[in-house]
Amino acid sequence: MAVTKEEILDIALLSKLWVDESELDKLTEDMAGIIAFADTINAVGESAEDFDNINNLSNVFREDTVVPSYDRSLILKNVNGGENGYFPVKKRM
Amino acid sequence: MSYELVAGLETHIELSTNTKIFCGCTTAFGAEPNTNCCPVCIGLPGTMPKLNRRVVDYAILAGLATNCEISPISKMDRKNYVYPDLPKAYQVSQYDKPLCERGYITLSSGKRINITRIHIEEDAGKLVHERGDTYVDYNRGGVPLIEIVTEPDIRSIEEAIEYVEKLQLIMKYIGVSDVKMQEGSLRCDVNISVRKKGDEKFGTRAEIKNMNSFTFMAKALQYEFERQVDLLESGERVIQETRRYNTDTGETEAMRGKEDAHDYRYFREPDLVTIQTSPEDIARLREMLPELPEQKLARYVADYGIPEADAQLIVKYRKVAEYFDAVVSKIQNPKTASNFIVGQIFKALSTEAAKEELALSVSSEMLAELIRLLESGKINMGMAKSTLDKMLETGKHATELLSQEDMAGLDENALRNHCMEAIAANPAAVKDYQSGKEKALKAILGAVMRATKGRADAAAAEKLLIELITK
Amino acid sequence: MQRNESRIRRLHDLLTRKELSCTELTQKYIDQIESDNARLNAYVNVTPAQALKSAQEVDKKLHAGEKLSLLEGIPMTLKDNISTEGIETTCCSNILKGYVPIYDATVWKTLKAHNAVMLGKTNMDEFAMGSSCDTSCFGGALNPYNQAHVAGGSSGGVASAVGGNLAVYGLGSDTGGSIRQPASFCGLVGLKPTYGAVSRYGLIAYASSLDQIGPITSTVEDAALVFDAISGKDEMDSTSSGARETTADKLNGDMKGLRIGIAREYFEGIRDDVKAALENAIKTYEHMGAEIVYFNLPILKYALPVYYILACAEASSNLGRYDGIRYGYRAQSYNSVHEMICKTRSEGFGAEVKRRILLGTYVLSSGYYDAYYKKAQNLRGTIVKAFRSAFETCDIILAPTVPMTAFELNFTAKDQVETYLTDICTVPINIAGLPAVSIPCGFDAKGLPIGMQLIGNTFCETTILKAAYHYESEKYAEIYKELDLGVRL
Repeated sequence: MAVTKEEILDIALLSKLWVDESELDKLTEDMAGIIAFADTINAVGESAEDFDNINNLSNVFREDTVVPSYDRSLILKNVNGGENGYFPVKKRM
Repeated sequence: MSYELVAGLETHIELSTNTKIFCGCTTAFGAEPNTNCCPVCIGLPGTMPKLNRRVVDYAILAGLATNCEISPISKMDRKNYVYPDLPKAYQVSQYDKPLCERGYITLSSGKRINITRIHIEEDAGKLVHERGDTYVDYNRGGVPLIEIVTEPDIRSIEEAIEYVEKLQLIMKYIGVSDVKMQEGSLRCDVNISVRKKGDEKFGTRAEIKNMNSFTFMAKALQYEFERQVDLLESGERVIQETRRYNTDTGETEAMRGKEDAHDYRYFREPDLVTIQTSPEDIARLREMLPELPEQKLARYVADYGIPEADAQLIVKYRKVAEYFDAVVSKIQNPKTASNFIVGQIFKALSTEAAKEELALSVSSEMLAELIRLLESGKINMGMAKSTLDKMLETGKHATELLSQEDMAGLDENALRNHCMEAIAANPAAVKDYQSGKEKALKAILGAVMRATKGRADAAAAEKLLIELITK
Repeated sequence: MQRNESRIRRLHDLLTRKELSCTELTQKYIDQIESDNARLNAYVNVTPAQALKSAQEVDKKLHAGEKLSLLEGIPMTLKDNISTEGIETTCCSNILKGYVPIYDATVWKTLKAHNAVMLGKTNMDEFAMGSSCDTSCFGGALNPYNQAHVAGGSSGGVASAVGGNLAVYGLGSDTGGSIRQPASFCGLVGLKPTYGAVSRYGLIAYASSLDQIGPITSTVEDAALVFDAISGKDEMDSTSSGARETTADKLNGDMKGLRIGIAREYFEGIRDDVKAALENAIKTYEHMGAEIVYFNLPILKYALPVYYILACAEASSNLGRYDGIRYGYRAQSYNSVHEMICKTRSEGFGAEVKRRILLGTYVLSSGYYDAYYKKAQNLRGTIVKAFRSAFETCDIILAPTVPMTAFELNFTAKDQVETYLTDICTVPINIAGLPAVSIPCGFDAKGLPIGMQLIGNTFCETTILKAAYHYESEKYAEIYKELDLGVRL
């Protein structure tokens, strides 16, 4: 299945990645190779098994009991303590 | 050319569990930002979800209460999209194996609105916009939701609203949510399209998001209906898109830009295991299901002979209905109770909130006691009514407010004696009555009531007076 | 010292006999790291203060005459994708530089309770995506036997550290071979447990349905001891399983009647010297009384594309959260939130991670989902079933770990796919969720170790570790002597 530059750009947008114009040709070529490789599975007929889940477990639950939340200073530790108790998302920098 | 509206609803309801869907943080509303958070619900790398059992139970209860089939095998999926309020960049939801499928809610017209599915999922955090910047609070992130999706069965704004009201009431009855539209614990998205009356084919639909009151919902649907009709009439097409109702302009407007292009890339959540629901689980939950509003209404009308309008009013508030049932279980005539409730008690519970919460100083036992005094003839209706007013005011028992004498009642002989005394004491009025002035009887009756301090049954006294005077 | 004598036991004996204190032991390792890490690039974050503090705790216990558990006081390391509270955890990615977890991964919590002495965090391919550690933002870890060669990947740092005697053991993670392949390249024992045997809570996810944490050690018994300590059901990981038994106490006995399966496909297209070493190993097992069973597993040829589709699909979702809002790197300049997120990710992720995110997004996107993701998922079912029926005829499967030995540093594949092909022997095991251990079984002409994999049925860690232990004992004189890199404690 051939992949186009436009498709790569669409996929990049969905992935929230920017592709520089200068990288696009090389990336499209790389991705075409990887996708062609992935495509080899389509050589297998329709005999494939319906697969559910690797762990075969079911009904693992927790009870509805409150566990104390983390101290806010810890929650915000990786954003330098945050701003007024919030995670700041500056619109411009 | 006349058009008809075609709508399907997606209703998100926040479940009133103690903890979030995947961690032990509290779901309490109104806390300081980011204080109900832990590594799991802010999506720190390496954390894993653990499903709250009660979320599954509540969703199944919602399914049973809306006539759904419960899936024996269900699973969780990831819905992938990037947004700052979604800490993992995917919402753990259910895609192709929801917990409940194929249910319905019956409208008062008898029409069924079919429910496609009910699934469980996690809520996102909240963005706060201030001074041109955005801030994120993840307290709400991970609060459990159920999403109830209908078929495009709705044909009018009235049907849409009745459906949501019915749904809201059912959820209140089963106690899985407080379903408050204003607080966001009930949120509606409507898929709406229009078509020429008589057409089979559905038109292109637009989705209107998050209408937070019935009034806005009605206005948004009206606006959107007209907008789509105008488009079609002027030869244009309706675009399939997500729109939002702007409460300031009263219009709906397109919501997403290109950068939000979405393709949710659902796939099974590998960090969670299969949810299996056995017939025993379903039986256990069905056992927990209370009598639902529709069933109560039918019972009140059919078994108790209560007028449908009154029954509707009682059923509308879960706590009132429970109060009524409690009173009825202790008295002879349910109608007496419904009259008191729809009358004096509703007057005392003047606001919707007061009715909702049943903010009342008179317990069901106290009202039943009063009605039993009435039923045993110890007091009459007039006394019962005035006593109930005093009870509502003071919170005291009827027996505290009425004296022994009040509750002695009047036997046939005592009443006859009082009547004869009144006739003897009011010869002029007797004469007037006998000459055809029926009104004159009131004066004599008044004398009887005064003499008995209101304990006399006015109707019985009147009957006896006429009998004595005309004899 | 006999090479296959448990290094953990030996050090435990030294400690309990008070022949050296835990602080002294720890200091020796810290010194060793100081002198050798620049050469090997095994550690990306050395934590001597933390290590010495733990060592003092152990010494206090020793002083008070308290009994030590086997892992107490043993210097070790963690791959840098295992969350450690208060200690930077980066996955060797620029996007997580500066990120300090506020909680411990369950495995680390468990080892902490054993007073393990953690010397630091070790190098890896960025987000565990790679086979030679060269996608690390800190540069690759080198092979302790020959620094012109890589240590392997993605847990290259752990292997380099343990092989280079900069830690007694380490925990790595294995999504498609990331424990076994570097263990093979560095002449070590690498155990990838059954999916669900060890808690993944706190392991920064690459592909959640394939990831498993496991030990890299110098001896089989060490691997068994560490596995016994970290395995078992964890309340925080719904996919962890209660099925477990201790393995370290069950390594003895004999090989008589053990049925060793050989899937012919595993021996096609591997390098001749690797094949020869494996054939020798088969002979050794026959000699020890095992029965060899040959069969075909034709579905194996699809395992690699299936792996890349599923792993990348999950990765594209798992790595969506790196948006610069809650932790880690954030772009310096931008004009909108959308731009901030895109720039953060574009600047923070390396090329291989981006390729895998793109592939994962592609195979899940509408229009391609059925042909790729769904088809791969169904083939996963077929592969699971194929292994299940193989285990009806044998107890373990013997296979190469990698079709070659450690790559040269300047080895450049002609494209990504050629690089991916080196994972061909290891990925089927993750797809099927099975346990496998890689142990050394010979050397190539340059003296680089060759590894073999012993693959077991689900939760049959004991069976493969026992077979590995027997081989190790039998071949000690020939192979393991060579593997010692100088004086060890």
